[in-house]
Amino acid sequence: MSAKTENRLLDVKGLTIEIETRRGPAVVVDGIDLHVDKGETLGVVGESGCGKSLTMLSLMRLLPNKIRVTQGEAHFDGRDLQKMSNRELRKVRGGDIGFVFQDPMTSLNPVMRIGDQLAEPLIYHRGMSRREARTRATELLRLVGIPGPEERIQAYPHELSGGMRQRVMIAIGLACEPKLLIADEPTTALDVTIQAQIVDLVKGLREKLGMSVVWITHDLALIAGLVDRVVVLYAGTIVEDAPVDELYANPRHPYTRGLLASIPKLSDAPASRLNSIGGTPPEPGRRPEGCPFAPRCPLAMDVCRSHVPKLEPVSAAGSHRAACFAVEKAREAA
Amino acid sequence: MSVVQAQPAPLAEEAPVSLWRDAWYRLKRNRLAIFGLFVIALLAFTALFGPYLTPYDFLGQDLEARNQAPSLAHLFGTDDLGRDVFSRVVYGTRTAFLVAVVVTTIALAIGTTLGAIAGFFGNPFDRVIMWLTDVTMSVPNLLLVVVINASLKTPIAQWMEARYLETLNPFYRETVWIDFLLVFGSMALISWPPYARLVRAQVLSIRSRPYITAAQALGLSNRIILMRYVVPNALGPLIVAVSAGLGTAMVLESAFSFLGVGVNPPTPSWGNMISDGLRVWQHYPHLLAAPAAVLGLASVAFSFLGDGLNDALNPRGSK
Amino acid sequence: MLRYVAMRFAIWIPSVLLVMMAVYALAFYGAGDPIKLIFLRAPGDVAYNPERIEAIRESAGLNKPFIEQFGYYVWNLIQGDFGNSLTSGRSVWAMVKAAAPVSFKLALCAIVLTALVAIPLGMIAALNQNRRLDYIILGSALFLWAIPAYVAGPLLMVGLIVLLPGVNVPYGWGGVFDIRIILPLIVLAFQPIALIIRQTRAAVIEVLSEDFVRTARAKGVPEIVVAIKHILRPVLTPVVTQLGLIMITIVNGAIFVELVFGLPGLGRLTVKALTNSDYPVILAITLIGSFLVMISNLLVDILYPLLDPRAVDAKRSR
Repeated sequence: MSAKTENRLLDVKGLTIEIETRRGPAVVVDGIDLHVDKGETLGVVGESGCGKSLTMLSLMRLLPNKIRVTQGEAHFDGRDLQKMSNRELRKVRGGDIGFVFQDPMTSLNPVMRIGDQLAEPLIYHRGMSRREARTRATELLRLVGIPGPEERIQAYPHELSGGMRQRVMIAIGLACEPKLLIADEPTTALDVTIQAQIVDLVKGLREKLGMSVVWITHDLALIAGLVDRVVVLYAGTIVEDAPVDELYANPRHPYTRGLLASIPKLSDAPASRLNSIGGTPPEPGRRPEGCPFAPRCPLAMDVCRSHVPKLEPVSAAGSHRAACFAVEKAREAA
Repeated sequence: MSVVQAQPAPLAEEAPVSLWRDAWYRLKRNRLAIFGLFVIALLAFTALFGPYLTPYDFLGQDLEARNQAPSLAHLFGTDDLGRDVFSRVVYGTRTAFLVAVVVTTIALAIGTTLGAIAGFFGNPFDRVIMWLTDVTMSVPNLLLVVVINASLKTPIAQWMEARYLETLNPFYRETVWIDFLLVFGSMALISWPPYARLVRAQVLSIRSRPYITAAQALGLSNRIILMRYVVPNALGPLIVAVSAGLGTAMVLESAFSFLGVGVNPPTPSWGNMISDGLRVWQHYPHLLAAPAAVLGLASVAFSFLGDGLNDALNPRGSK
Repeated sequence: MLRYVAMRFAIWIPSVLLVMMAVYALAFYGAGDPIKLIFLRAPGDVAYNPERIEAIRESAGLNKPFIEQFGYYVWNLIQGDFGNSLTSGRSVWAMVKAAAPVSFKLALCAIVLTALVAIPLGMIAALNQNRRLDYIILGSALFLWAIPAYVAGPLLMVGLIVLLPGVNVPYGWGGVFDIRIILPLIVLAFQPIALIIRQTRAAVIEVLSEDFVRTARAKGVPEIVVAIKHILRPVLTPVVTQLGLIMITIVNGAIFVELVFGLPGLGRLTVKALTNSDYPVILAITLIGSFLVMISNLLVDILYPLLDPRAVDAKRSR
């Protein structure tokens, strides 16, 4: 067990996030436990609004105004991020943890040159001079595959294409060779062909730099070849946590199954209907009693509507866990 | 503020909240706006009934009691002719409201009409009207309106005089109306552009919104679309503009009177009282302080209310 | 660039001509007889001798139709002749030249003061959104906005005398570095400050919700650098566009401030000309006022691409 803890880079326990609404606070992330090992790549999957982005933003204390962490701790490299002073936290932001945001159109400052934006983390974390930072910025642009980095460094964000801008974002995230890179749906705003390029880029860089990666997405298919382990989030709770191959081969939670089934396959009959999960996820503050997925679940039983299932191991090794009464029952029956 | 926010939200059940109830809810929480609303209500009451309630006639001179400091008998003291300043300020409220309401109504009518024409019919109307708007807005407007006022006064007075001699109708003797007429006209002439711009922008943006297309696709009549979709959506910003406009008109009127081109003595107006007070303020500061303070209060009240309305009615674009 | 400036002038000319024609028409149809006005103070009772007046009118071309006279006025204007004052007989150009520096210096100082005071205050308000400090700043701004200069000026004078007895009433002009400039400057800057505080606050709040501010924080950039480099820079763009509006407020306010504090600038000239129906002066001042506003707007358009690199490409591609 101790060896396991030592290998932990990020360890989140009982994280609860609430949003302030006019009807009072509403829970959006409900006491989740999450961990990332050193060198591991974790995929965090879920529909929009399930709390996956908020979870990651909360680690760096970057939540918007009316949203805040009410419970839980988040240890990074043995230190609690929630209890750090602002000064300590600033060192972690961009230094130990790199961030890549969803929309490269709006996440880059429109009135600053690319090079200056890229130089900032180098200047504030590495204490580089402007000139050193500039040289390093050029190298970083080359690293993320931007052609002609010497000229591009002078460009403004609007002069680059969406894919190029996202490469710049990644370069910013990687600037100080962080131990952990958090990528928040970095491909959502991009064309499909560009999406694959970005995934390949991160895959290559991860091996080169030996860092851990958390990749947030709603697209299970996209990250199949990238991540080691997947955590599936639904309405602010973790419903399934498994090594990626295991998850694809043997999804346990009905929600995960629904997600996987909704990916169209080439082998499907051309005229067949796409599978989709009926209904919509509950709004924050309006979650049903019992399992939050119960109203949409094809396997829902009485117990699901009155009790909340816990995340329990479903495989012998214990590396595959799911929060579902139906799964437990099936295993007991077996 | 925390006290206000700690109150339980009054929306226990989940009925869809109407735009207006929602706006009222937000306005109620803005203490400055409520203060403004209260002051305006008080002033409006004063304007309507005040002149019947004051202890003195606003023109009543008492040469025995000239330039008195504020006392119980004369709340704001008396002026150089022994007139009760409080009664004059009260009557001045009526002048201020009369000007503000009439001017804003005229300006709103002109602005809405021109803005709607520009928005609905497009070029060439649009281009000409917007050019006029730009021209009117880009000239230092106070200057223009003072010029209009100053130069039209004599000819109109002469014309009235001529009409009187011709008809002997006592109506043409009433020269007080000349002041009002001129003030109304010239102020409306520079106050319409914001309304025109606003209405045009609203018409253009609302016309192109998907829900109008959707309503048309549903086969709703133009009248229903107009009443149910266009008007409610355009009304919010217009209400904000009117609230600000009323305050501006009040200040503008007193500015005219201050420069001697507005409502002329003996009709009391805050502006001409300030102007008179300015000459003697070192000896009788109350003559300046009383009208100036009331004008300031009124202007601040409209400013607070307008700002609160803006936040309440345009929650997303709140400034 | 030069072509752009020239084009802006070309667009401005018809609109200012329209305004001047309106003023000229008011003078032509509304005001009293200019000849009478000229000779009202002249010896020999010329003003009451209709025959001589007619003779002068004819020789001055004042019996011609309106359009012809206006055309003649504009023609003179193009040649730099603003005409003569009806009351003093002095050249309008000389009068304006004597008065303008006072007003320009005052206006410039007011703009600088506005920028120095209002932008930081607006920023502080926005960074403390919906907290006490924000309410105080915003409330004060609304208050300043609502208090007219001719109310604020006298009241401040009263306050100054009460607070510091023995101090002379600040009256008159002694240049920018004279102590007497302080009060009129403050009063003149009230409304622009209020305007810019609110504008800055709104812009900062908008920028604060932008993703790139979050990016800057995620990079570990210190808060003070985030405030200056990432928030203030984009905020300057919408704030600078208000320059034209500020110019109008200042031109309007100068009339009262100069009157109240006895400054020999364009504002006081305006009031004097108005009370005397001195139309050549009024026309010249209208022209200058409109010119100032136009120049401010032009300046904004030239500055805009320097502040927002996206505007450069938008213009180029046009």
